[in-house]
Amino acid sequence: MPLLDIRNLTIELDTPHGRVKALERVSLTINPGELHGLVGESGSGRSLLARAILGVPGHNWTITADRMMWDGQNLMEMSSKQRRNLMGSEIAMIFQDPTSSLDPAISVGSQIIEAMPIDKSLPLWKRGRVRRKIAEKWLHKVGIKNTDKVMDSYAWELSEGECQKVMIAMAVANQPRLLIADEPTDSMELSTQAQIFRLLSKLNQLQNVSILLISHELETLSGWCDQLTVLYCGQVMESGPTSELIAQPFHPYTKALVENAPDYSGELPHKSMMQTLPGSAPALQHLPIGCRLGPRCPQAQKKCVSQPSLCHKKDRYFACHFPYHNEPCNDDTSS
Amino acid sequence: MGRYLLRRLNLFLATSLVLIAVLFITTGYFPVDKQYALTGIESPTLQQQALSRDEFKLDSNGFNQFLAYTEQRLSGNLGLSVTSQKPVIDELTQVLPASFELAIVAGLLAILLGVPLGVLASLSKNKITQHSIMAITLTGYSIPVFWLGLTLSLWFGVELGWLPISGRINLLYEIEPITGFMLIDTLLSDSIYRISAFLDALQHIVLPAITLAVLPFTVVVRITRAAMLHIMNEPYIRAAEARGLHTGTIVLRHALPNALIPVLKNMGLMLGTFASYAMIVEVIFSWPGVGSWLVSGIYQRDYTVIQGGVLGVALIIIFFSILIEVLHNAINPISRKEIYAAN
Repeated sequence: MPLLDIRNLTIELDTPHGRVKALERVSLTINPGELHGLVGESGSGRSLLARAILGVPGHNWTITADRMMWDGQNLMEMSSKQRRNLMGSEIAMIFQDPTSSLDPAISVGSQIIEAMPIDKSLPLWKRGRVRRKIAEKWLHKVGIKNTDKVMDSYAWELSEGECQKVMIAMAVANQPRLLIADEPTDSMELSTQAQIFRLLSKLNQLQNVSILLISHELETLSGWCDQLTVLYCGQVMESGPTSELIAQPFHPYTKALVENAPDYSGELPHKSMMQTLPGSAPALQHLPIGCRLGPRCPQAQKKCVSQPSLCHKKDRYFACHFPYHNEPCNDDTSS
Repeated sequence: MGRYLLRRLNLFLATSLVLIAVLFITTGYFPVDKQYALTGIESPTLQQQALSRDEFKLDSNGFNQFLAYTEQRLSGNLGLSVTSQKPVIDELTQVLPASFELAIVAGLLAILLGVPLGVLASLSKNKITQHSIMAITLTGYSIPVFWLGLTLSLWFGVELGWLPISGRINLLYEIEPITGFMLIDTLLSDSIYRISAFLDALQHIVLPAITLAVLPFTVVVRITRAAMLHIMNEPYIRAAEARGLHTGTIVLRHALPNALIPVLKNMGLMLGTFASYAMIVEVIFSWPGVGSWLVSGIYQRDYTVIQGGVLGVALIIIFFSILIEVLHNAINPISRKEIYAAN
């Protein structure tokens, strides 16, 4: 049984320009112990999806889904209190903007200690010291050496990278079953990035934590993830095992992503044009109908004005009327 | 931080100096003899005349007179009260504690009731609750304080007879002033009636304190609500929710400390209004504080009392507004952020 199973999730935002479907019929399946990558450009709705899974929607959202199951329980039917109980203990999230995700008015240390698990077997007066010890241990694990100094500081006194590490420590300390990491290494230097990814994959391997890793860097994700889901403008383009997806993309968008990755072997002439798809990603209020890649797609035909349903072949899923793949596919909308 | 404190101290000194200069210049315009306006002695003896000419350097030029005036006033020589012929400084120190007592009780009432109500108004999803709280505060904000005071004393004091409407304590009780705060002095006194005296003092302060508290209370509610509404949408509140904290913990530990910062700042701005309201309330309820003392001084053309009262009240307001600003920066780590980057 998959840990998280989402079918046809649609998020509509009420904006001054009317109601906009920021996510349209997105499906996502995460199995226990899986490191799942979610690739997409900025504005493609990755963070919206993460927040919808976690259950912290914005005030102008309307969420509809055919199915949203967490380990056999229906997330759509849960009360907000039940959802809150899941958060932090079973599903944890690392937010994109670390500095503003920490309370500016109290010190970082007290916030970390607040997020640490409470050992109910200990007497009350010992709990504080034990939690501080655990907090220091986790800070060490995410690569902060001068724990005392960091814990006494305020969020705005730390660098983005340090804040991000603190956020990661807070998220992983409760040993959740699913960790949603929204651009966890966005503001870090390369060596620290590798350190964080190693920590995440170690958590994944040793403690069987499933991780949903959100990023825009296909290369990084393909190096660490077992499964990849490619999102474009709020629609799922393709998803499947990383190696197969990279080796033989079925969807024109995935193919473009893989082929347009810059080649650093030195064969690129000086000041030559880099390969990309024509055009740019549309703004939320000017979304094309049907397949949203349509206007930019090299394969697009008349049929693309209706949204393709998600087809699947073995464990690969793709939503395209004209995939790079000849056999007829199974329509997945009913499954 | 040191440089910041030095700058605030400088601000205090400069503002006080301007205040004294204004007082000095207006004293010259009083329609009486300058010596009389400065000392409060109507028909001085030759000796007194010579003394005050020497003290205030009345034979020298204007600038030297100003320096002498500043020196005399700051060293506590506020002259004699024209009407009572007692030193103004003694009268001032007698009436100040009464005013402070009233202001502290009213301020506490406003904050202790206003902050929870503001939080409630911001968290409540019920439109009726929200709108009724807002309507009540807007009404309270727009009621003139003199009308409110008179109406309250008419209802609760005269018609219902529940509460006394004038003074600090029933004349039956004789309480030695120790701190000057009646509520504390009654408890400290060794009379056998001290508990009943305390209760009597408490009854006396209810109406004036409520009347004075209405305006700051409404402001506190509105500011707390606005700040809370803003802060509950901040990313760190969402992050705290995502960590699975209870709503109560989030509000008390994360949202409220951030929301109280603008409340504190606005209290500093409101201090002047609050002081003038306190004077009106003191006059209405014959509260023997600095306000009613100053107002009666004005009626009686008591030039030294007017100068002394204005100097005292204004210095206190300047001091407290700067103190609140410094406190605001000391307590609040976010405003230190700007200083952190600047120095």
